[in-house]
Amino acid sequence: MSFEPLLTKHVREPNSFTLDFYLQHEGYDGLRKALAMKPEEVIDLVKASGLRGRGGAGFPTGMKWQFVDKKSPNPKYIACNADESEPGTFKDHLLMERNPHLLIEGCAIGCYAIGAKIAYIYIRGEFFHVQQVLERAIDEAYARGFLGKNVLGSGFDCDVYVHRGAGAYEAGEETALLESLEGKRAQPRNKPPFPAVVGLYGCPTAVNNVETLANVPIILMKGAEWYSKLGPEKNGGPKLFCISGHVKRPGVYEAPMTVTLGELINERAGGVRDGRTLKAVIPGGSSVPILLPTQLDTQASFDGVQKAGSLLGSAGIIVLDDTTCMVWLAENLLHFYRHESCGKCTPCREGTDWLYKILRKIERGAGQMSDLDLLTSVANNIAGKTLCAFGDAAVTPVLTTLKHFRHEYEAHIKEGHCTLPADWRARQGVATHP
Amino acid sequence: MDTVSLTIDGRQITVEKGKTVLQAALENGIHVPYYCYHPGISIDGSCRVCIVKIEKMPKLQTSCSTVCAEGMVIETRTPEVVAARAGVFEFLLVNHPLDCPVCDKGGECPLQDFSYTFGPDQSRMEFPRRVFDGEGVKGDVDFGPTLMLNRQRCILCTRCVRFMRDIDGDAQINIIDRGYGSEIATFQEEGVHSLISGNLMDVCPVGAITTRDYRFKSRPWDNPIAADTICTQCSKGCNTTAWIKAKPEWAKGAQLIRFTPRFNHDVNGYWMCDIGRFEYHWIEGDNRLRQPLEREANLGQQPISWQELTSKLGDRLAAAGTSNPEGVRFLLSAHASHEELFLFRRLTEALLGEPNAVSVSWRYQTKSQPAGSKFIVPPVDAPNVNGARAMGLAPGKVGPVDNDAKADVSALRAAVDAGRVSALYVFDPGPEGSLGDVQWIVDARASGRLPLLIVQGVVLSALARAADFVLPGASYVEKEASYTNDQGTLQGATRVIAPPGEAMEDWQILVNLGVALGVPFTYTSAARVRADIAERYANEPGLAGIATLVFGRPVAARNWLQASNPSERWKWDFMFQDMPPVKGHVDPSAVPMPIGAIPLKEVK
Repeated sequence: MSFEPLLTKHVREPNSFTLDFYLQHEGYDGLRKALAMKPEEVIDLVKASGLRGRGGAGFPTGMKWQFVDKKSPNPKYIACNADESEPGTFKDHLLMERNPHLLIEGCAIGCYAIGAKIAYIYIRGEFFHVQQVLERAIDEAYARGFLGKNVLGSGFDCDVYVHRGAGAYEAGEETALLESLEGKRAQPRNKPPFPAVVGLYGCPTAVNNVETLANVPIILMKGAEWYSKLGPEKNGGPKLFCISGHVKRPGVYEAPMTVTLGELINERAGGVRDGRTLKAVIPGGSSVPILLPTQLDTQASFDGVQKAGSLLGSAGIIVLDDTTCMVWLAENLLHFYRHESCGKCTPCREGTDWLYKILRKIERGAGQMSDLDLLTSVANNIAGKTLCAFGDAAVTPVLTTLKHFRHEYEAHIKEGHCTLPADWRARQGVATHP
Repeated sequence: MDTVSLTIDGRQITVEKGKTVLQAALENGIHVPYYCYHPGISIDGSCRVCIVKIEKMPKLQTSCSTVCAEGMVIETRTPEVVAARAGVFEFLLVNHPLDCPVCDKGGECPLQDFSYTFGPDQSRMEFPRRVFDGEGVKGDVDFGPTLMLNRQRCILCTRCVRFMRDIDGDAQINIIDRGYGSEIATFQEEGVHSLISGNLMDVCPVGAITTRDYRFKSRPWDNPIAADTICTQCSKGCNTTAWIKAKPEWAKGAQLIRFTPRFNHDVNGYWMCDIGRFEYHWIEGDNRLRQPLEREANLGQQPISWQELTSKLGDRLAAAGTSNPEGVRFLLSAHASHEELFLFRRLTEALLGEPNAVSVSWRYQTKSQPAGSKFIVPPVDAPNVNGARAMGLAPGKVGPVDNDAKADVSALRAAVDAGRVSALYVFDPGPEGSLGDVQWIVDARASGRLPLLIVQGVVLSALARAADFVLPGASYVEKEASYTNDQGTLQGATRVIAPPGEAMEDWQILVNLGVALGVPFTYTSAARVRADIAERYANEPGLAGIATLVFGRPVAARNWLQASNPSERWKWDFMFQDMPPVKGHVDPSAVPMPIGAIPLKEVK
């Protein structure tokens, strides 16, 4: 089946980010269609399309919008989660930089559907240049009446603001994002109440990922049925896959979720580097369990990857070839999680540091066999004991590498050094065999 | 009252709707540990030690943040919960310095107690502990004028952060950095500047925040006596506990070692201000009046016996009253209790036959607090303005004391300045300055316009130095006395310690003086005085129930430790006492545990 990209079709065009270009390609027609409908009808349409959140959890977007407490006397908000910080994920970056009006249109439709007048795009602190692109696009949209008072003469008011974070992974958690938007520390809130009831400034709020909102105009243009048929059941619509690691052509690839991991890695991304063999795949950003080369025929859909024992998450597919030391991988990722833990919950704050220290010790060849059980025990003491999903995310690299590559840990301990000819060592001038 | 029923550990429990699972468990004697939860401040759900298993929920839930729902089934002791909880306790201690032997909190520390009960018996941590400001004593850093901070001991429960945000109204404390590097801090290390900063020591569940006033002065087991009382330093009447340090009779220094707030929903909640907490040193200070004094020509004030003083003073007052009743005046501080106000009133009536002879004064000073503060320290620095009103000694009726309730002694002052007063009797049982401005009395005395000045009080103030007769009375922790606070609530202060030296309880002084003056006083105790008040002011709402008012008593060690911390007391009795026959001779499991004590785990 030939598939024509919907989200990223024009991203290579030099002017793809301008409003003029966007309008030449059916831009804001989705918003026009939405404004001709009743808000409930828009929500029903999105529900019928089966659109699932692209941020990681895959929660149905239409349901999320329906849960927004519309009877509340308070204003409602859309908070667009553009804090794309998951290692191995860079799809929202591309969308916002090369196709910003698609996101703005999605925000406007979302606001209309849930009865909001304001959408905040919470953008990752490091995306300074992307923020400039977005703000330019928002200015253009205001100037042509796609945002602001009385959008397209419909009587609907909509403002979109870009808020740049201060650079914290945890701000990508929806309640931490709201805290950060309010000017507080990016730490998660207790749930319930959920943001749909008590969200930004205590008002009903829908928090949606960039790619999710970018899909909304497409649903309005193409219809729910067409959209849901694109891809396997309950996994409809186009999906962006970020392929990184040891492949010949890393990048963002758009495909319906009927595609398999093998097709994505070997055909779209050109396969692993010459002379190397595939060792493992992390299919959904750094915080999901590893899949092995034997599982390449796994369908790259939310349900397909879950069936294979992992999660599609943010679809950040990290490809690892035989030069990758799995102990080093875990240490590297725990360095990240230790640094990014917000510090609110005891197990995560203290445990990630402990795990990192044990891993560093093993990686340097000073580990003992008992450390492996300790790693498992500490990781299990963190998992499920924290307020948000960060704790579970942080221990996954440890537990999954221990499960599939325990022999590498044992080799480190027995030999006192890493036994793999890892090319990062060669680059850094670290001797493989001291 | 709407209620919900739920099951905790197989027990059917009914609680008020809206309560959390943790509150339901604690109210019903089910032990669930907690750190970030504090009943007086908002819920955070971050320490994770209160996790419990709730049926139909896949993950363990924090009981502090889960509201009870009808039919909930909760387990706090299943192997899953016990193991998970022990895991969190291990995490809490991996970076805690465990310097309990030199930590002020040691012995009354929730981290110690809960770790003993719920934590693992050893840590598997082998890496060096996190150090913020330096090892050992270098870890103690300034945290404002009243507090010290030790970040190593901190477990980041954020109770202090939330106290400042929710109660103080000025969020001076927050966490800086994140994750493993998180630390409690104030802006540019300025420290906490607040009138209610001492509460931070109370809310801190470890020894991270300590008060400069109490730190290193005592350990919990050195304070064997505590008494529940009230603070009288302003019109609020906060409920407090006074702590007495045990020491041999010959040892120097104070016995009164600290004041802590005591929960009273209607008066002070869980809190008290720094004035009441820290400004008590005058009670056992060098400036205290310890014996009666009489001014002798050329010799100045000389000690005199009570007997002599009473008869001499009686003669002088009687003479002054007979020759010129208009010239005898009384100035009472609103620190005077009901008993004292009443006796003065009776005294003046009998002696002079007119109540106008009495003026009541107090200091009025507004306190600087943030606009949104939930704990307001009133400007009236006296506990009993309402009492003076009830007895008709101060203008107004018993009721909320307005914020502009300033004392008016202008008439008395004009009379003194004009030389119309031949004898002035000042009663000032509060701390120095609490009577308001008295310099005009000292000046009048110095210029010879005031022939006779009598001061009954507690501190050798400038006023007392100017007096002809000085009568040493008792401070608010040295007598059983009743006061009516600014909300019209009648409360009693406990006799925590004895008055120093020859000083006497003020009701006794007044009765003795009255007898010397021929007033037929038959009171043998303060309680008798209160009974008479109840009779004579039967319809006064501010004094209702005064005859049956219950006073606290200093409680001996065994009881207060059991009351405040049963587990700790049990441990202390059976595990750490080094003297026979306790250690090694008593099988702890054979001794019935005190009510409320948490069973200890066997340490292998």
